[in-house]
Amino acid sequence: MRRLLDQVYLLSGGIAAVSILAICLLVTAQVGLNVLARLGGPALSYTIPSYADFAGYFLATASFMALAHTLRHGSHIRVNLVLTRLPARGQWVAELVALALGFAASAYAVWFATSLMLESLHYGDMSTGIVAIPIWIPQCAMVVGLGLLALAFIDTLIESVRAKRPVLVDDVSE
Amino acid sequence: QTWDMPTPYGDTTFHTVNIRDFAEDVSKATDGKLEIKVHSAGSLFPHSEIKNAVRSGQVPIGEFFLSTLSNEDLAFGVDSQPFLATSYDQAEKLWEAQKPVITKLLDKQGLMPLFSVPWPAQGLYTNGEIKSVDDLAGLRFRAYNPALEEFAALAKAAPVQVEAVDIPQAFSTGQLQAMITSPSTGANSKAWDFVDTYTKIDAWLPKNIVVVNKRAFDRLSEDEQKAVMDAAATAQTRGWEMSKKEAAEKTAEMKDNGMAIVDPSPELEQGLKKIGDEMLANWKEKASPDALEVLQAYQGN
Amino acid sequence: MSDPMTFAILLGLLLVLLAGGVWVALSLLIVALAGLSFFSGAPTGLVMATTLWGNSHSWPLAALPLFILMGEILLRSRLSEDMFSGLAPWLGRAPGRLLHVNVLGCAIFAAVSGSSAATAATIGRMSVPELTRRGYPESLILGTLAGSATLGFLIPPSVILIVYGVATEQSIARLFIAGILPGLMLVSLFGGYVALRAWMNPASIPREDITLNLREKLRASRRLIPIVILIGGVIGSIYTGVASPTDAAAVGVVFSVILAVATGSFRWRDFKDALFSATRTSAMIAFILLGASVLSVSMGFTGIPRNLAAWIGTFGLSPTALLAVLTVFFILLGCFLDGISVVVLTTSIILPMVEAAGIDPLWFGIYLVLVVEMSQITPPVGFNLFVIQGLTGYNILKVARAALPFFGLLLLAVLLITLVPGIVTYLPSLMGN
Ligand code: NA
Ligand code: NA
Repeated sequence: MRRLLDQVYLLSGGIAAVSILAICLLVTAQVGLNVLARLGGPALSYTIPSYADFAGYFLATASFMALAHTLRHGSHIRVNLVLTRLPARGQWVAELVALALGFAASAYAVWFATSLMLESLHYGDMSTGIVAIPIWIPQCAMVVGLGLLALAFIDTLIESVRAKRPVLVDDVSE
Repeated sequence: QTWDMPTPYGDTTFHTVNIRDFAEDVSKATDGKLEIKVHSAGSLFPHSEIKNAVRSGQVPIGEFFLSTLSNEDLAFGVDSQPFLATSYDQAEKLWEAQKPVITKLLDKQGLMPLFSVPWPAQGLYTNGEIKSVDDLAGLRFRAYNPALEEFAALAKAAPVQVEAVDIPQAFSTGQLQAMITSPSTGANSKAWDFVDTYTKIDAWLPKNIVVVNKRAFDRLSEDEQKAVMDAAATAQTRGWEMSKKEAAEKTAEMKDNGMAIVDPSPELEQGLKKIGDEMLANWKEKASPDALEVLQAYQGN
Repeated sequence: MSDPMTFAILLGLLLVLLAGGVWVALSLLIVALAGLSFFSGAPTGLVMATTLWGNSHSWPLAALPLFILMGEILLRSRLSEDMFSGLAPWLGRAPGRLLHVNVLGCAIFAAVSGSSAATAATIGRMSVPELTRRGYPESLILGTLAGSATLGFLIPPSVILIVYGVATEQSIARLFIAGILPGLMLVSLFGGYVALRAWMNPASIPREDITLNLREKLRASRRLIPIVILIGGVIGSIYTGVASPTDAAAVGVVFSVILAVATGSFRWRDFKDALFSATRTSAMIAFILLGASVLSVSMGFTGIPRNLAAWIGTFGLSPTALLAVLTVFFILLGCFLDGISVVVLTTSIILPMVEAAGIDPLWFGIYLVLVVEMSQITPPVGFNLFVIQGLTGYNILKVARAALPFFGLLLLAVLLITLVPGIVTYLPSLMGN
C-alpha cells in the first residue's frame, strides 16, 4: 500500500513535469516559427493556433498535478519558527492539526472543483480562442490534482498518528 | 440587498462609466433597497470566468464581451463578423435580430440579457497608408480569434498571436505590423507611440453585454424588477450614445497626437467587402440553425 | 461588524495558522474561506473553485516554471560557478565584492522576467550556494537577494505595471519606460548599501583573488562567455521581436540546456533532477498564488480594502499627506496580501482620489510598484521571503530580518521619487509628442 501510494504521488509529479516540458516545447516551436517567418518572409509564416491557451492549460495541469508530490517531498513551505520550540508531543499535535486542516480544505476544494467541472461539461463551455477546447478537459487536471492532494494529506495524517511523531521532513536544499 | 457585479474593463472605459450610472439609477429607483456594487477591471473574477460566475449564482449580475462565446454558438459572435454590420444603424439592426436568439440561448444557462452596448467600429492600424488589400499582403497582422485568422489568410497577411498587453512592444520590435481594433483601444494604448496611420475601415462593431442570473432576478420584488429593467433600457440608449461620442473623441485624440486618420480608398473598400463576403459564405457552412436565424432576420430587414 | 474589526479577526486567524505550522498556501486559503463564509453573502465553495480555476491557467504566469527550470539547469551545470569565477577578479576590489552579483544579476534578470518571484528563484538558485560556499555573510546574501529581486516588478517587463496599466488605462509602454530610471536608482542604492556595509566591516567580506593583472583578468573572463550568450539570447529574442517576454522564458531554457551540455558535465540525469525540482518549486509558488487569489476575491466580496481606501478619501488630505497615509496603508495591506492583489483591490477607489489631488497617474503607477515591492519582503505574506525559504530552508522571519535594510532602501526610493518626480516622468516625456 505504502509503495503504491508513493508511486501514485511520483507519477502525478511526473505528469506535472511533462506538462512544464510541454509548455517549453510548445513555446519554443512557436519562437522557431517566428524566426522562420523573419527569415523566409510571409510565405513561411505559420502560427500554432491558440498556443497561449494551450500553454495556460498545461500550466494549470502542472500546478495542480504536482501538489501532492510537492507536499510529500516537504517542498510546500510553512513557518516552523514557533513549532521547533515546542516539546516533541506539542510538535506532533500541531502537525496532526495542520494535516487535518489540510485534508479538510483540500477535500472541500475537490467537491466544488468537481461541481465546477460537471457544470462546464453540462453546459458545454468552450475556450474562447482560435481552437475551441471543451473547458472540462483541462479542469479534470484540477479535480484530480486536488483529489491527490487530499489523499496525500489523509495518508500523511494516518502515518503521523501511527508513528506518534511528525513524518514529513521539510525540504532544505543545500 | 447588495448585488456584486464583476466587469472586465477599467473605470475610465465608457462601458464601465455607463454601468456605474446604471447601478446608481437602480439604487435611486429602489430607494437604496437594491444596491449594485461594481467590481471593475476584472478585480473580482477574470474576464473568462464572469459569465459562469453569474450562471452559478456566485454573483447575480455581470458584464462580458459577447463574442467570447462564439465558440459555444456562432450566434453570439455575429457582431464580430467582419464587414457584416459596419455602422451604428446596421449594428442596431443586427442587435434587434440577435437579441431574441441569444436570449433563448442564454435562457438555457439560466441567464437573461439586460442590455448590450457596442464598442466603436474597428479600424486598421498600420505604419504607412494601406491603399488596397494587396498592401496588406505579407504584413504581420494581429489575429486573436478564428475570424481574424481567416481574415489574415484571405488578405494574404501573416497572422501573429499577440496578447493585448504586449501590443506596443510587439509593434516596436517589428513582431506586429498591422492590427484591427477600436479607436478606444488605440487611443488608450497611445497607438501613436508605435503606428502612424489609422484607416477607418469600420470592420465591425463588437458588443459588451450585461446579463443577470434569472433566479436572482426572480427573487426581486416586482418594483425592484421594474427598476432594474427600466434602468437597463436607459443604460442601453445611453451606452449607444456614449459609444458614438467615444468613436468621435478617440479618433480626434489620435489625430491630435499626430496620427494620420484616413478614409479607406474605394479600392480597399471593395477588396475588404469581397473578403467579408467570402468569410460570410464560410461562416454559413459552420453556423448553427440559431446563428443562421440571426443572419436571416438581419438580412431580411 | 466594522471593517477594522473584521480585518483584525482575519489577520489574527492568519497569524495563528501560520504560527501553528499550517502551510502558507493553506493558511491563505482558510482565511479566505473564513472571510467569504462569515463576512460576505457569496457562496464560498463555488467562488473558491471558480477562482482556483480562473487564476491557474493564465498565459503570463506560464513563464514562471520555465524561468525556475532555467535556474535549476544553470545550478546543475558549470555555468553558475563559471559566472562567479569570471566576475570575481573584476569585483575583487569593489567593497562588497561578489555580493554585487546578486544585485546586478537580479537587475539584468529583471529585464527579462516580469515577476519578482521568478527573479528571486532564478538568481537565488545560483548565487546563494556559491556565495555561501565562498564565505559571504548570510544576512547580506539573503538580504541582497530578497531586496534586489523586487526589481523584477520595477524594471520592465512587469506584471504589476501591466495590471495597473490595464485597470487604469495608462499606456503600458510608457509605464515600462517610466520604470527604468527608478530601477537603476534602486540598483545603485542597493549596491551603495552593500559597499557601505563592507566598508564598515571589511573583515566580514571574504577575500577574492585580486592579484591578477589585466591580461589574467581577461583570461578569467572567458568563463563568462556562456552566461553572456545566455543573457544576450534571451534579451535579444525579445528585442528582435521573435519572442514575447513570456516566450523568452522558453528561449532561456533551451539556451541554458545547450550551453550546459556544451560546457560539459551536464547529463540526462541532471536534466531530470532539474525538471522535477523546478516542478516542485513552481507548484509551491503556484499553490501560494492560488491561495492568495482566493483571499483577494474574498477581500473583494467583503469590501474591506475598498472601504478602508474610501475612508482615507474622506479626510480631504493634501497631496503629500495623502501619499504618506497611502504609503502606510499599502505597507499594512501588503503585510498580508500579495502585491498584485493590493493593486487590483484598491486602484478603483484610490486612483480617482489621487487624480483629484493632482498627482500624475503615470508617476503613481511607479510609486505603487515601489510600495508593492515592499510587500514582497514583509512577513507574514511576502513572496520573495517564501521563494527564498524554499531555496535555502531558512525561516521566512530570518530572511525578513535580513531583508529589513532593503525595505528601508525602498522607502528611501519612494521618498526620492516624491521629492524629484522627474526620475519617473523624464524618460516617458521624451516619447511620442
Ligand atoms: Na521585470
Ligand atoms: Na508582505
